[in-house]
Amino acid sequence: MSMEHIAPKRVVAPERWWDGDLAYDFRHSPVAIIALLVTVLLVAAAAGAPWIAPYDVMDPANANVIDARLPPGSLGMMGQHYLLGTDPQGRDMLSAVIFGLRTSLYVGGVSVMLAALVGIVLGLIAGYHGGVFDALIMRIADIQSSFPAILIALLIDGVSRTLMDRSAHDALATTVLIVAIAASFWVQYARTVRGLVLIERDKDYVLAAKVTGIGPLRIVFQHIRPNVLGPVLVIATINLALAILTEATLSFLGVGVPPTTPSLGSLVRVGNEFLFSGDWWISVIPGAVLVLLSLAVNLLGDWLRDALNPRLSG
Amino acid sequence: MGSFFVQRLAQTIVVVLAAALVSFALFRYVGDPVNNMVGQAATLADREAMRRTLGLDDPVILQFLHFLRDILSGDLGVSYRFGVPVGRLLLERFPATLELSLCAMLVATALGIPLGVWSALHRRSVASHVLMMLSLVGVALPTFLIGIVLILIFSVWLGWLPSFGRGTTIAFGGWTTGFLTPGGLKALILPSLTLGLFQMTLILRLVRAEMLDVLRADYIKFARARGLTDRAVYYRHALKNTLVPVITIIGLQFGNVFAFSIIVETVFQWPGLGLLVIQSIQFADVPLLAAYLVMIALGFALVNLAVDLLYAAIDPRVRTGMVQARVRA
Repeated sequence: MSMEHIAPKRVVAPERWWDGDLAYDFRHSPVAIIALLVTVLLVAAAAGAPWIAPYDVMDPANANVIDARLPPGSLGMMGQHYLLGTDPQGRDMLSAVIFGLRTSLYVGGVSVMLAALVGIVLGLIAGYHGGVFDALIMRIADIQSSFPAILIALLIDGVSRTLMDRSAHDALATTVLIVAIAASFWVQYARTVRGLVLIERDKDYVLAAKVTGIGPLRIVFQHIRPNVLGPVLVIATINLALAILTEATLSFLGVGVPPTTPSLGSLVRVGNEFLFSGDWWISVIPGAVLVLLSLAVNLLGDWLRDALNPRLSG
Repeated sequence: MGSFFVQRLAQTIVVVLAAALVSFALFRYVGDPVNNMVGQAATLADREAMRRTLGLDDPVILQFLHFLRDILSGDLGVSYRFGVPVGRLLLERFPATLELSLCAMLVATALGIPLGVWSALHRRSVASHVLMMLSLVGVALPTFLIGIVLILIFSVWLGWLPSFGRGTTIAFGGWTTGFLTPGGLKALILPSLTLGLFQMTLILRLVRAEMLDVLRADYIKFARARGLTDRAVYYRHALKNTLVPVITIIGLQFGNVFAFSIIVETVFQWPGLGLLVIQSIQFADVPLLAAYLVMIALGFALVNLAVDLLYAAIDPRVRTGMVQARVRA
């Protein structure tokens, strides 16, 4: 048996992170570097939308019907520069896409966080406590995972739409959408965390904590939780790409964000109506940004999964 | 085996009952069913009589039981939007969705398996790396965007293929098919490609991974040691064993294809179940949505039950969770 196997787990201090395995792996993976760069750029653009976008798309004063559907690079009536053209309401496409990106990232990010939170808590309790609770949660997970996630999100959103009247639903649409997406993604977290807890549960440090008289809640949430978060991070990253695509798809189908809110999906939906007039940019540009975002996040997730997987290294 | 069967059967029944409960709640509590059935001129007494004949004064449990009985006898209510029995509407739309899904799966397997085998056998070649990169892009591409780009290229710019509808269809009793007319076949091309592309990348990656796995196995080394040709080793020994999990996944993916057909049908205005359900959500057509919910739950639960039982019968070690984990990895 070599020394590495019995050596205690190395604790990496934040300042030494750069010398760690993960950072080393990152510096030697051009794909990961480019993917992170693109992701950071897009997130920054979304976060700074009100300052970065040339025009405020939510302001009706910036919608000039005379300037509607101008191709990329056109000049508007008042001499505005439309780098990526305009949409059917005469709004600047570039600004619309930046604000749409903001909505898509917001909905995707919050729904992934919500799904992870619910999944982690349920998985921790199910794994540590076992018994009826565990059986119940895992049965529900089994049942749910036999249905495609997008179908579940669509049906939750659809049913809530028929339950509320139109104006009430429009006000709540984004929240409903987030809940619908989160509800369709929690299973993976719960299962993964539960599996990891089952392994951790019988380790010496948990036993030591028990002996010192620490309560089960504290053992689970303070001692076991940090040791199961690595794989959760991987799932969350890959899920972020999926959640963004789900948001875009539902908004494209007209059952996502309210029609007045620009999201990458709803922009493509609007553009789709003008495809046959040859006005391709209205749908293709937000679509291209969507693909760029989902591809970058996906690649980042793939890299993270491989980098954190001890079976693949060496 | 016996207890496994009972457990899975119970699970199936619970799923279907849960879906039925949601759809019953939709029916019962969204809007007033009486308002939807009587005319403007109905008096209060008329309404009361209607309530009684509809059984709306009965206890809720009894109403739910009646609802279940109606579903079982095929009575799924009348669509608000079309004014036609929902059961008939669903049956009418079903062939379109089934034909689209079958063609998509055909595209996915016909392209995915050969490409996967090829890329496993030539895994160090540049083309194989490019193929794997493209399949990664394929995963990041949303289905609706693939459809829009295909329409833009082949319908708007080139004008080769139709962009909406099923083209000319021929009816056999209750079944309409687009397989028998040139127009119907042409109309199938773009939607099937759109729906099949994602499944193709999935199959490609799975075949490649399985093939690489199998090629490392001892019996392959032994086959080589016996002096068999590459051809015999690859196709007679390796490919056969690769295909077992692949066929399983193709079966399991059918549910996903069905779900994603909702998107493709919306993009291509394909008159199937998916387009119907999206419209029923947008128009708050409660009976239609409720029936769809029950139908989906029943369909998926039955398919899953069949798959699980088949698994248990063939190979007790195999659990769906394990097989699915391999695809995602």
